[in-house]
Amino acid sequence: MITQEDCASCTDERDAGAAFCENCGKALATGAGLAIGKDCPSCGAAGVVGDDGYCGNCGMLAARPRDHVEADAGPVAAAVTDRGLRHHRNEDALWLATRGADVDVVVCDGVSASFDPDIASETAAEATGKVLALAAAELAESIGAAIVASASAVAVLATTGDPRRAASNPACTIVAACVRGTEIGYGWVGDSRAYWVPADGTAVQLTEDDSWAIHAISLGVDPQAAWNDPKAHAITAWMGADAGPVAPRTGTFFAETPGHLVLCSDGLWNYLTEPAAFAGTVRAAVRDTDDLLGAARSLVDFANAAGGSDNITVALVPLNTPDS
Amino acid sequence: MPYTAEAFQNEFLALGATEVNAIVTVASSGAEGGRRTAGATEIIIVDCSGSMMAEGRMGAARQAAKAAVNCIDDGVRFAIIAGVSTAQQLFPAPGELAVATPETRAQAVTAIDRLQANGGTAIGAWLKLAGQLFAQRPGDIAHAILLTDGENGEYQGYLESVLQGIAGSFTCDCRGVGTNWTVSELRKVATAMLGTVDIVARPQGLTAAFEQMMTAAMGKTSADVQLKVWTPVNSTVRFVKQVEPQVADLTGKRVADGPRAGRYPLGSWGSESRDYHVCIDVTAGAAGDEMLAARVSVVEGDEVHAQTLVRAVWTEDSALSTRINRQVAHYTGQAELADAIQEGIEARKAGDDRTATLKFGRAAQLAHESGNKATEELLATVVDIEDAATGTVRLRRKVDAADEMALDTRSTKTVRVGRAQ
Repeated sequence: MITQEDCASCTDERDAGAAFCENCGKALATGAGLAIGKDCPSCGAAGVVGDDGYCGNCGMLAARPRDHVEADAGPVAAAVTDRGLRHHRNEDALWLATRGADVDVVVCDGVSASFDPDIASETAAEATGKVLALAAAELAESIGAAIVASASAVAVLATTGDPRRAASNPACTIVAACVRGTEIGYGWVGDSRAYWVPADGTAVQLTEDDSWAIHAISLGVDPQAAWNDPKAHAITAWMGADAGPVAPRTGTFFAETPGHLVLCSDGLWNYLTEPAAFAGTVRAAVRDTDDLLGAARSLVDFANAAGGSDNITVALVPLNTPDS
Repeated sequence: MPYTAEAFQNEFLALGATEVNAIVTVASSGAEGGRRTAGATEIIIVDCSGSMMAEGRMGAARQAAKAAVNCIDDGVRFAIIAGVSTAQQLFPAPGELAVATPETRAQAVTAIDRLQANGGTAIGAWLKLAGQLFAQRPGDIAHAILLTDGENGEYQGYLESVLQGIAGSFTCDCRGVGTNWTVSELRKVATAMLGTVDIVARPQGLTAAFEQMMTAAMGKTSADVQLKVWTPVNSTVRFVKQVEPQVADLTGKRVADGPRAGRYPLGSWGSESRDYHVCIDVTAGAAGDEMLAARVSVVEGDEVHAQTLVRAVWTEDSALSTRINRQVAHYTGQAELADAIQEGIEARKAGDDRTATLKFGRAAQLAHESGNKATEELLATVVDIEDAATGTVRLRRKVDAADEMALDTRSTKTVRVGRAQ
């Protein structure tokens, strides 16, 4: 669990926890490290999990570092990413960094059909997060530039590492947001989303998916039919070597009432396609838990209870609340 | 160490699937910067049976043996065995090994002139003597060249019993000159001794063949490299095959190393790369489970030179589980190609033209698809290939015995993925 720890690899002092160290970019905590030498959760053999994370008896992987990662910035922000129930690994990645009440948050979702999508999402989240840490003003523009810069880092992956990447290059979606006071700058490529969920009233989906369904609906196809189409979730824009020039869409939102900025991957919103249902579930999660991290965990639990058919990532940033 | 091991596979399995396949490429830039890490011993065995008098074979064999002797590096131990009804050591004195120097090589060349064709063929006895000589130098890179022109004259089962006793103690490259020898017999020796087998149809080709074998042997820098395969409980190794540069099934050569691992001998190793197909039977996992199906390492004694992992990941996503891994598919085809050719030749000999046509047709198709031009050309000497793409072939009425034997011995030669396409 990541709770305001210092990075083990360098001595950067930060105000709050992040999934990656803001200074050196190294992952702050890994789940597999905890499993080495422990009992195997699959066959129960004692003390057999090897250095590579596999059981020395039954061969099952005991834990992957990214199966479940949490980032806790107390009352300022919280984020959780989880493997879900059906996918063999977590291809989502998140970045959360805070300084005072300022928040940078990034959620990426690897494209499963590509090779090493988990590397793509990790690369994109980290690269974007590192650039955003410098942003002071003109948030939307900064986010757009950061996404374009990280898209190059993702595209380069196709020609490095495993040669199979060349045939099916690593790819991912991204949604990023910066919170400075009551101003929210955001940008995205693909179908990972940002919502403004006010304490009362109608939720606002800030992003519009780059997906086949949205594209078809904009061309006049009946929304119900579009969303029921097998191609509905096929994304029409992504980051990766085969994506061509990446043109992130960006926006700015001023929060005038108390509420939460929510960033999430489709592992959550797939179970809550209606904004009203989404808002209701988020409000219930915040209401029924003691803190932000608990609320984020509860949203992940909700998606897993609904089937957990995809990786799940959710980030919560409260605005205009007494705590923030 | 300069070894690398890399696994190529589609680790994604459909739910319920229990077979895990991977191609493991083992490469080495040669131990210690190309210097040998052990001593080396070479033994040349020349068939001196009466039939060697024909077609000037004896003269060509003498010349080839001399050429091979001249390829032996200074300091390498060596001996020459004259193969008749018994094994006779021609050089140096019986029971001894010479140390290669300009002087000893010259003495050996003089001795080779005394080789006379006069006697029978006793391959088991020849190999047994070679084994006794090699036993003086445990740990050496031990290599023999065996030349014969006829069928083994020993009683049934003797050669097999000798091979059982000496397997693993040296590698042996076998060459048959002319067409009166039996491919399956020499293949048996080559397979047991981790060596190669080939035909030298005309005696004039012997010198080049001997030089090539000896030069390759001098390039070996490590004596006894092994592939160690660890598998989890309730999993078994279905097979381990070398698939490049030629097909050789190593499954039966497994030596247990603890309860869950086995070692497969790879023989001596130089600056080279070879591919292995590893197939593991595992128990099926649930969706999302990831299992280490095998940990494959390249070892020499207790030293692990390189290691790679063969994984199994069960998924409901058929887009992932139906992905064909090019390496696995390619080498599965190359192994099938070798089998199809050998079965085709057997069927033709048995007079079963229907089966022979089917097998050769499949072979032509596989050779064509995989870009194995050399094998396709050899096939074309035995059958008329009407359409390689569909595997339509017609048996030839008259086939040169040498052509058919060349096809048989070289049926196991493979090509790399994407090479010569």
